[in-house]
Amino acid sequence: MIELKNIEKYYANKGVKSYILRHVTTSIKEGEFVSIMGPSGAGKSTLLNILGMLEDPTYGEYEFMGENITSLNERKRIELYRNHIGFVFQAYHLIDEMTVAENIEAPLLYKKIGGSERKSRVADVLDRFNMVAKKDLFPNQLSGGQQQLVGIARALVAQPSIILADEPTGNLQSAQALQIMDLFKKLNEEEGITIVQVTHSEINAGYGSRILHLLDGVIKEDVATTV
Amino acid sequence: MFKLNLKIAFRNLWRNKTASFINVIGLAIGLASCLMLLLYVSYEWNFDKHFKEAGQVYQVMTNFKDANGKINGTGDVTGNVIAGAIKEEIPGVEAISRLGYGGQSLIANGSSSFKKEAKFADPDLLKIYNYEFIAGNPGTALNDPKSVVLTERMAKLLFPDGDALNQSVRYDDKTDLKVSGVIRDLPSNTSNRFDFLMPWSFYETLFDWVKDPSWTNFNWQTLVKLDKHVDLNLVNLKMKGMMELHQKDTRAESFLYPLSEKHLYGKFENGKGVGGDVERIYLFAGLALGILLIACVNFMNMATAKSEKRAKEVGIKKTIGAGRGSLIAQFFLEAMLLTMIGVLAAIAMLELLLPTFNNLLHIQLSASVLNGGYWVWILLIVLITGLLSGIYPALYLSSFDPIQTLKKKAVRAKAVPMSLRQVLVVGQFCFALLLIIATLVIYKQLSFIKNRPLGYDTNLLVEMPQDGLLQGKYELLRTNLLKSGAITSMCQSSMSISNEGSSFWNFEWPGMADQDKQIVFNQIATTYNFIKTNGIKLIQGRDFSRNFASDTAGVLLSSSAVKIMNLKDPLGAKVKYHGQDAVVIGVFKDFIWGSPFYSDRPMVVAYSKNWNGVVTMRLNPANSLSQNIDLIKTVTKNINPAYPVEVKFVNELYAHKLQAENTLGVLSNLFGGLSIFVSCLGLFGLAAYSAEQRTKEFGVRKVLGASMLNLMQLLSLSFMKMIFISVVISIPLGYYLMGKWLLKFEFHTTISWWIIGIAAIGTLFIALLTVSFQAYKSARANPVDALKYE
Repeated sequence: MIELKNIEKYYANKGVKSYILRHVTTSIKEGEFVSIMGPSGAGKSTLLNILGMLEDPTYGEYEFMGENITSLNERKRIELYRNHIGFVFQAYHLIDEMTVAENIEAPLLYKKIGGSERKSRVADVLDRFNMVAKKDLFPNQLSGGQQQLVGIARALVAQPSIILADEPTGNLQSAQALQIMDLFKKLNEEEGITIVQVTHSEINAGYGSRILHLLDGVIKEDVATTV
Repeated sequence: MFKLNLKIAFRNLWRNKTASFINVIGLAIGLASCLMLLLYVSYEWNFDKHFKEAGQVYQVMTNFKDANGKINGTGDVTGNVIAGAIKEEIPGVEAISRLGYGGQSLIANGSSSFKKEAKFADPDLLKIYNYEFIAGNPGTALNDPKSVVLTERMAKLLFPDGDALNQSVRYDDKTDLKVSGVIRDLPSNTSNRFDFLMPWSFYETLFDWVKDPSWTNFNWQTLVKLDKHVDLNLVNLKMKGMMELHQKDTRAESFLYPLSEKHLYGKFENGKGVGGDVERIYLFAGLALGILLIACVNFMNMATAKSEKRAKEVGIKKTIGAGRGSLIAQFFLEAMLLTMIGVLAAIAMLELLLPTFNNLLHIQLSASVLNGGYWVWILLIVLITGLLSGIYPALYLSSFDPIQTLKKKAVRAKAVPMSLRQVLVVGQFCFALLLIIATLVIYKQLSFIKNRPLGYDTNLLVEMPQDGLLQGKYELLRTNLLKSGAITSMCQSSMSISNEGSSFWNFEWPGMADQDKQIVFNQIATTYNFIKTNGIKLIQGRDFSRNFASDTAGVLLSSSAVKIMNLKDPLGAKVKYHGQDAVVIGVFKDFIWGSPFYSDRPMVVAYSKNWNGVVTMRLNPANSLSQNIDLIKTVTKNINPAYPVEVKFVNELYAHKLQAENTLGVLSNLFGGLSIFVSCLGLFGLAAYSAEQRTKEFGVRKVLGASMLNLMQLLSLSFMKMIFISVVISIPLGYYLMGKWLLKFEFHTTISWWIIGIAAIGTLFIALLTVSFQAYKSARANPVDALKYE
């Protein structure tokens, strides 16, 4: 599903290049649950952003579902967002002016899905996440864990093939964190959704099937987890 | 999608109440000005266009030339025979009519009598104007010399409870006329208005000078309706020599000018049109659009200032698949929504303020809510305003890169173009300041002109028209009024002292050069006590007096007349006035008769018993005003019962001369005030936002020991810098522009430094007040509140 070849990312400042990613080459297959780990400043988030096409690599090749991303135009990229990629952020990033239901519905609007199907899909997701009672609340009326659930629900509702999660439990208490990770695992196993997450926590990483260890922009280790 | 965007837009408006309020009020003021402008323009634009085939109607204009053949004046007057000549000699004339001015004339229905606007015309006028007849036959209404056409209002006044048609009314207390038609009231934007219209054939029976055919007695107007295929240029080519052909030695030529353009483009120089009242439209348009632009700038500034907040939303939407188009659409929707709310407020404002505005400008606008065209225009304005204020924020906000906005500490400083915002604020305040300088200069000029010595004493001076029997029984009136004690002195004259009315040339005096015949003099005819009643200062000689029988052949000269005539010893000089021998018996100091902004022509005051029209009286200071007026009314009504008595105060009549400049002052005052207000609203919003953004910084500074004054300075300074720049830009500009405006007037004041000072310091002060309110609020805040987050 994802092929990275020799990805480099650096900032040039007064002739000095400061590297964030070096020689990153890896591939992620459909149905995998990959955790990217490493100390602060190792380039984890940058790597995830490159995967999510939010940032361009300075050098290297990136293929997403057989398409070369480096030469992709804006319109194609938006198409990918609409149909294949779901984002989950550490700070949830819900839209403050929209209710829970509206936040979840938004991706479907952009995907131009008909009204009745939208309604049923949103109802479905709300039901599944046990949030029917909260559907008319605004994000600031929810706890962090609940907000992140909405964030995941929003990522899922468009039925993406991959979820990219940047420290999804970073702002949550451990009990809520476990709940989210259980959810990810279930989605991965039962629905076959590919998941790539960035995390600091060994425990969270343990939920996945594979761990990429990053240090100073280089992949130091690429191991499969054993449950 | 649209519904959701609309919902979000409403929630955004509700959440940012200050910003929304500022935007709505600003836009409402701007839009109200624009709607007002729209009404005004459509009123002026439709002048003389509201009847059928108005485009085919022309006015006969006349160019007057001096001895060298140079055109030195253009007017809409003609003699009474050119109409016939045009009809015969110019092909394609569908209808042609002379139009005679009857002035305020008496019309009575047995019991009640009114003084109303009268006009005389040929029957063809009804073909030209296509008046809508409520009763009567337009084909024959003016055929019988003893007939009259009334407007609907006039008919209701005369016959409140009955049909006016075929009834008899009495004109000028002399002649009975039969009502041959009633027409719908004429709209107020019509040049040739009247309350009742009488046939030219009747007019000719009233005065010999109307009956005598003349090319050069320029007393009337002539209107022509041409076939629509006729080429105006060809017609005018033929018209060029027409007058000289019929009347040798005339120095005038006539031409046709579209009637519908006369109102807005009625100013001629050298026989060519050079604009006219259309300038007022341009001025008003500039002002209204300026205000609207200021309001749009407020919207842009507030929207981009809030960009940090909105950026996150943009970033998220982009990652869940929003295209740029849909984001732009959303931001436009928000701008449109705000504009819609603004326009509703504007319409309410308009309905409320229109009467006041009409009073100020002396026009009659009405917002015709039922008129479909009006709403189309409103919609168009909303659209343009929405686009104007929405385009920059929409493009700017939708361009955000998701990763920059979603990373926690986004590089915001670079993303927000602070400089553009500053430029816009500077622009706003420049406009406002220019208007304030203009207002101050206009008012100073007005007070300068008001303080110019008039040359006569308007205090307690009143006048009334010398109607009906007041002409024959003037002496009786004088004796009775003096006896009643209402007045101390009175005189009759050919026209009012308050307004220039007549001039002549071919004045002859000893020692004159041949070309001196061309000198144009103003003239007033009077009998006794002219100087005494008006309080004019005599330099030499005396007033007309009953004690000197020879005074009936005497004239008085103004001091400028003596100067231009180069008379060493004016008293006793033998002159020829209109070919009659006369003797100069006195010299008086110049008084203002025409425009107070320019010097008058030299003036001759002559004795004539028969050329009268106005009775001027000086009231008795011993009685109260109302007592005097009541006495005058009683005495006059006794002598002249058929006419209502209209006593007018001369100082009020004089004040009309300053009307155009007064209007200008009112407009610039109004719009100057509004633009400062709307600009300050915007400044207030920006300061509020800036204070909100710097809460944390302020908290830290406070903890480090900054005083409240330090903090207030910190916030205020950055804003005051912009206002200061506006002051620096607009003062020389205002000085230059208003200096040019002042040069238009012969008598003008100068722009003093205190005007500049007041404008600059006033603006800086208001702006400082606006900003420091916010600065004070945020400087007062408890630092703990600011620091406990994160």
